[in-house]
Amino acid sequence: MPAETHMDGSPLSRDEVLCLIRERLAEILEIEEDRVTLASSFTEDLDADSLALIELVEALEEDLGERTVGFTIDDDDLAELRTVGDAVDYVVARLERAQG
Amino acid sequence: MSAATVASGRGKTPTTRVTVAIDAMGGDKAPDEIVSGALQAVEELDDVAVLLAGPEEAIAPLLPGRARDGVELVPAAEIVAMDEEPAVAVRTKRDSSLVRAAQAVREGRAQALVGAGNTGATMAAALLKMGRIRGIARPAIAVPIPVPGARPQLLVDAGSTVDCTAEWLVQFARMGREYARTRLGVAEPTVGLLSNGEEPGKGDELRKEVFPLLEKVDGFTGNVEGRDFMHGGVDVIVTDGFTGNVALKSIEGALRAAVSLVFGVLESTPDAREAGKVLVPLLLDAAGALDPDETGGATLLGVAGVCVISHGSSSARAIANAVGLAADCVRADVVGRLREAVDAG
Repeated sequence: MPAETHMDGSPLSRDEVLCLIRERLAEILEIEEDRVTLASSFTEDLDADSLALIELVEALEEDLGERTVGFTIDDDDLAELRTVGDAVDYVVARLERAQG
Repeated sequence: MSAATVASGRGKTPTTRVTVAIDAMGGDKAPDEIVSGALQAVEELDDVAVLLAGPEEAIAPLLPGRARDGVELVPAAEIVAMDEEPAVAVRTKRDSSLVRAAQAVREGRAQALVGAGNTGATMAAALLKMGRIRGIARPAIAVPIPVPGARPQLLVDAGSTVDCTAEWLVQFARMGREYARTRLGVAEPTVGLLSNGEEPGKGDELRKEVFPLLEKVDGFTGNVEGRDFMHGGVDVIVTDGFTGNVALKSIEGALRAAVSLVFGVLESTPDAREAGKVLVPLLLDAAGALDPDETGGATLLGVAGVCVISHGSSSARAIANAVGLAADCVRADVVGRLREAVDAG
């Protein structure tokens, strides 16, 4: 029997991914969600250090891993993710790959 | 929490069994002293069980020949070294003894984590696996500082968060105050900001920025200086993790030097050696309160679970005491009390 590739049957939209990242970052950094925009730089705008980014990665893997079997974030790619927009694009691409 | 209430057959008040997950491979004396300390804890403490995380081939030979109630091995093939970058190590070594132990708490198989290894990694494992208390941006290590003849002071943060914001220091103050209330039995703990002078305007930019914010925290008495350690004038001393760790290590070094000086004098002449026969037992007894092995470790405040971080050179005695401290914190619902204090703040 083929494995389920995602639990609820529909892929997350780009806006939904942004919403999730904003929510998680706001929790991790103890800031208002309004401060997190696509253009926000993790280090310069949000003061997110390496630990905060790893917290975000772990949270996203937990949230999205439940919806999409096989969703992971490659640690080697983290250095390239400088803005929230970069992270959204990356997660959307990884989700598409996992669902592929 | 998977603890069960157990009525002791010795007619005591029922206690809640607490299971403590231990990184059996963390620390200079691991695994021998860590396992020995864990076994002592199970033997001496009421209703405490331990999960020992580490490679089976390293841990099993150290366990008693027969299976013992309250001792369980959690297999883990990897070890986080003392010099590894903490968050990266926790993320990449998912089969390490440290991560397996933290995972056991996350999954409810244990209620507390004890580790004597890489401090930053232990903090990261607790944060990533147990989560944070909502409202707390960064955890802080609370270390009891002995005060001769009086209850200890608390130093917060003793090294968890090196670079702090003013808001984080305020959070440390609130958590430290509640922890002093819960663990030290102080009804209305006082809080001092460690600085380079008592006057309100003293300090670097961070101290100057946080001072007016701390004035809104109940119990805040103002700036304190390094010489206020071990004197009992204030219950909680708040600072950033870098300064706190430097202060802590300075105190440890000064105490070792003072002890060495005293015992050197008592060995210096025949008359001194005679006097030493009377004084040494008294001094050793008094010095017991200054021995970090008697405390067992420091509590990590701000994570959504109990985590005790022990010194890297912890002996079996220290680990046994760390397990006891962890169990006490679980039973006192330290995490719940901190949550309430943060919500109220």
